[in-house]
Amino acid sequence: MSTRFSNKLGRIDNINTNQQADDTSTSVDSLLNEVSMLQLGDSFFPTGMYTTSSGLETLFYDGRIKSKQDIIEFITVCLLYQIGPADCAALSNAYNFAKEENISKIVEVDNILFSMKLIKEIREASTRSGRQLLHCLLSFVPENTLISSYYNLIKNKTANGIYPVALALASNGLHIKKERACLILLYGFTVSITGAALRLGILQHIEGQQVIHEVKPIMTTVIHNNINRHFSHLWQFSPSIDLVQMKHERMDSKMFIT
Amino acid sequence: MTFKRIPRVGIGGPVGSGKTMLIEQFVPLLSQIGYRSAIISNDVVSKEDADRMRRNLASERGLMPESLVIGLATGGCPHTAVREDPSMNLSVVEDIESAHNQELDLIIIESGGDNITTTFSPALADYFIYIIDVAGGDKYPRKRGLGIETCDLLIINKIDLAPHVGADLKIMERDAKLIRKDKPFVFVNCKTGEGIKEVADNIVKDVLFDLPPKINKKLNN
Repeated sequence: MSTRFSNKLGRIDNINTNQQADDTSTSVDSLLNEVSMLQLGDSFFPTGMYTTSSGLETLFYDGRIKSKQDIIEFITVCLLYQIGPADCAALSNAYNFAKEENISKIVEVDNILFSMKLIKEIREASTRSGRQLLHCLLSFVPENTLISSYYNLIKNKTANGIYPVALALASNGLHIKKERACLILLYGFTVSITGAALRLGILQHIEGQQVIHEVKPIMTTVIHNNINRHFSHLWQFSPSIDLVQMKHERMDSKMFIT
Repeated sequence: MTFKRIPRVGIGGPVGSGKTMLIEQFVPLLSQIGYRSAIISNDVVSKEDADRMRRNLASERGLMPESLVIGLATGGCPHTAVREDPSMNLSVVEDIESAHNQELDLIIIESGGDNITTTFSPALADYFIYIIDVAGGDKYPRKRGLGIETCDLLIINKIDLAPHVGADLKIMERDAKLIRKDKPFVFVNCKTGEGIKEVADNIVKDVLFDLPPKINKKLNN
């Protein structure tokens, strides 16, 4: 690679030149993978997740969520009892099967997680986000045959394309480590709820960042507890939130997809 | 499996400018000459527009199946949903294209009410209509904004209100010509239907390229 651009930056001279040492090369590869992680984890990445509130809007209009602490508790419950043992664990399994290029097992995990999403709007939003994630990814990683095959199954309606499974394949395709792929999932969920809370006027912008900061240890705990969970042991149990989300789905006037 | 793209018209404009009523006016005209449409309505805080169009155009007049008027919540970000991250809209469009490619001629995507910088992603819409109304004042066209300047067709609605709100249509016409150069604009009254045929004609010419409706074409073949 030419150093023309790096010289202009004045910081990363010698990177990717013929003289580079092996450890520098490893470091560059690692950095590229980290940049890919930032790309997939950025709310600028087009997956439409800003359209969902996971029922927060109903809780707000019912007067049951009013403060920053309420938002932190809501996110925590969702992560511990919904997203962690279901979505995060499914992602981890799908990632392992992506490494083995075992597409039938990937579809099996996809089907299990799809069937666990009780709320129609949430189920549909998740598959739409997953489909659009892969569609976008294939525009710049077209040579990934596993992702192409899975995407074709989605288009032929023999796979669902649920978002955590799509994210697992995308992360594997971009050489993002599994635990970091899990972080993208949990961080993306946290940011989408925090963003919804900002737009609903529950939080102001500084508080939004405080919420994300306070939820960080929950994210790491959730990953630790679920990254090795076998797909036959996926679970979720948050009946109160399920009911709130069902109520939200039926609201006549709302800003968010449930 | 890939599906041939169905032509898509995006409609944007400020809150209350007449986006929904515009659709309710030109869809029947297109239907009269055989073109079949589906509608995706992005609403900011309710499904009211989608419900109204479904009732008026599908349930009562039978111009389309009720399932082809689809409301979409946008998380309070109407411009994001049609420009920066149109993924939710694209996903619905793909569902429609995969199920109705053989008979549908047109997909209409109504943006949620927004400000004058609204534009549609070219990945989402092939043709962009921007609608304003005279009640905002005759300064509107010369204030420019991406929507007014870059749309394929500018519509100026509620012309019957002009004398009541002190808006001079001649000024609006002069400024629209100046700002938009050779690109078209139309004065309409969506309440009475005045000017709507010109809108429908523009869609037939510039979006459907004067091709015959798919169903008729099939029958003729």
